[in-house]
Amino acid sequence: MGLRRVPAERVRLGLFAAALLVFPFLASPYWLNLANQIAIATIGALGLNILVGYTGQISLGQGAFMAVGAYTSALLTLRLGLPWGVSIAAACLATAAVGVFFGLPSLRLKGLYLAISTLAAQEIVEWVVTHWTALTGGVEAVVVPAPQLFGQRLNTDFGFYWLGIILAGGTALFTANLFRSRIGRSFVAVRDQDIAASVIGVNVFGTKLLAFATSSFFVGLAGALTAYYRNIISWERFTLETSVLYLAMIIVGGLGTIRGSLFGAALITLLPAMIATAGRELQQSAPAAAALLPSVQQAAFGLVIILFLVFEPEGLSKLWRNVKDYFYVWPFAYRRGEGR
Amino acid sequence: MRPSRSFFVAVAAGCLALSVALAACGGSGERAEDEILIGAIFDLTGPTADVGIDYADAVRGHVDWLNARGGIQGRPVRLIYQDYGYQVDRAEQLYTQFVQEGALIFMGWGTGDTEALRLRITEDRIPFSSASLSHVLGDAHESPYNFLVATSYSDQFRIVLRWIAEDHRANGGAGNARVAFMHNASPFGLSPWVQGGEDYAREIGVDVTPYEMPRGATDYTAEFSRIGQSGARYVVFQNTSAPAAVALRNARGLGIDATFVCLNWCANALLWRLAADAAEGVVGAIPWAPLTDDVPGVRDIRDYLGSRGEDYAGKTNAFTQGWWTMAVFVEGIRRVLDSGRELTGENIKRALETIDGLDTGGAGPPLTFTPSDHRGSKGLRLFRAEDGRWTPLTEVLTAP
Repeated sequence: MGLRRVPAERVRLGLFAAALLVFPFLASPYWLNLANQIAIATIGALGLNILVGYTGQISLGQGAFMAVGAYTSALLTLRLGLPWGVSIAAACLATAAVGVFFGLPSLRLKGLYLAISTLAAQEIVEWVVTHWTALTGGVEAVVVPAPQLFGQRLNTDFGFYWLGIILAGGTALFTANLFRSRIGRSFVAVRDQDIAASVIGVNVFGTKLLAFATSSFFVGLAGALTAYYRNIISWERFTLETSVLYLAMIIVGGLGTIRGSLFGAALITLLPAMIATAGRELQQSAPAAAALLPSVQQAAFGLVIILFLVFEPEGLSKLWRNVKDYFYVWPFAYRRGEGR
Repeated sequence: MRPSRSFFVAVAAGCLALSVALAACGGSGERAEDEILIGAIFDLTGPTADVGIDYADAVRGHVDWLNARGGIQGRPVRLIYQDYGYQVDRAEQLYTQFVQEGALIFMGWGTGDTEALRLRITEDRIPFSSASLSHVLGDAHESPYNFLVATSYSDQFRIVLRWIAEDHRANGGAGNARVAFMHNASPFGLSPWVQGGEDYAREIGVDVTPYEMPRGATDYTAEFSRIGQSGARYVVFQNTSAPAAVALRNARGLGIDATFVCLNWCANALLWRLAADAAEGVVGAIPWAPLTDDVPGVRDIRDYLGSRGEDYAGKTNAFTQGWWTMAVFVEGIRRVLDSGRELTGENIKRALETIDGLDTGGAGPPLTFTPSDHRGSKGLRLFRAEDGRWTPLTEVLTAP
């Protein structure tokens, strides 16, 4: 806990952990379902944030890398009968390798050009998944055997919750520590100014590839967890839309922040669910408006994201900092040092 | 920038608080004691919305119509539903939510999400019907709570293949009939082929080549040039109306000389609207009669639409299918109430399994479910598209 110097931080972390522990005993299956989805999305968003937020390499291949993770773990269990733990680990490593491969163009490409080359990764992986029928079953869905632990099925909403928060917590801890290390700092150096980074002795290409590997490792983990939690996977879960949704998560949450990944994952998962619930209330009170609802819901979702980009480009993470700063000096109006 | 930011914070916080509050009280909304809750997901905005909208309208319509006539044994029915945009994750969320709110049965939609929910509904004991007619879903051992309220895709495909073989011979064709099977790139599209279609084609000596129709494609010239070279004289579509119509126009433009056959989801009034003249002569495998077909089983539907001041001719047979799917489940509930047993998912399942030769007034073949077989019907009529209408081409054909 030496890394958490301020008591308030420790208290907050303690409260958050306590809330996480109590939550599954109070929550309904619906909320547990959402929580599990958030846990998986958090892992995926952290992975993407390592690449996009911290290293500055834009990727549109998130869906593809999740597909690699999901299909690798599912097929290893299904075809070779490997235990789920082993096949998840193997899936992470396989995704890291695929990530490195599709990261190779980053030697020459930057920014939008790299984004387009990762878009190619998305299309290629999608094509392979849907057409290599002998391996993946093609467009058919793959049914994944349920993971067992001590004779209990692990992918119930309640059981999976624990796996989800442990892995999401572990990923967050790893990421936080990564950026306190030499390697992590070199990621950030590459993002901020790659020429300067190479001048001070950072191997830029090696660093970029390492970022692709680390990022894809966790994205693969998110994919593998999706497979085990949902029991069934098909290519339809891992399209370009998934990639864009994850980018939205880290942008709305806050690029290059740990808690931003969590906030973003939570918001993008909860928002459609909330809008839908609000919409259903309207179904009963104003049935005439009900016919318009589906399109209104989609528009509302888009609107929220635009508003975020306009008003708080640094995302939810910055909002959270604003709230903290506000209470830090409350009831006074200025922060220490700000009036100098 | 400052004031606008704090304004935004306030608005965002307000929105979140409001939606959380709504979500929190959403589940506990007032509910009549004897009300029967039915959950449903519809595709109103996703890739299959072209036919999903009519299906959804019909399911809602049947519930309205039923409640106007006093519900089931005097008990009102309430449908809780949402659009899920053909997204499997959303389907799982909504299913969990609705079951928690007390839905006794569930009306699903797509093949992907129905497959994904198959294990959960068995655990939760929720009788489930989907608009998906994937053959495996009717296997009562594998999926004891799924019910297929029409001919499965595989049976539809087998009926069509047999008809093609006969038509080919009748027209003096030599050798095996060659068929191009154009399907949606999804479990839905491939289902009739992998679940029995391929084996049956080999058995009866029909050469079938599958072609995938990429989602969102606006042009199928590449596929049709391959089909043209292969010498296929029959093209079977397993897709919804909008992509099938695009392909039909494309094929007519390229001068492909073949008989086109639509399975379930593209043989409807929408195909006429989208493909216009290109739809002329298309053969449709239609388990649920189009509303233009004057049989007793669609008259209630016409009357109901009339009472809403709408013209039935514009509706697709997805409307008939939605209406009757709901009607069959209502029949299951009615049988449980008649027998005086407690209204639970398990009892509704048992009651549905007692349905034997349920008369659908010609809207579809009579339906029968048994504890070992949840495929309600094995037959259908083929129709042909002539002058803007679907005209019956054959009597009821039963799957081999």
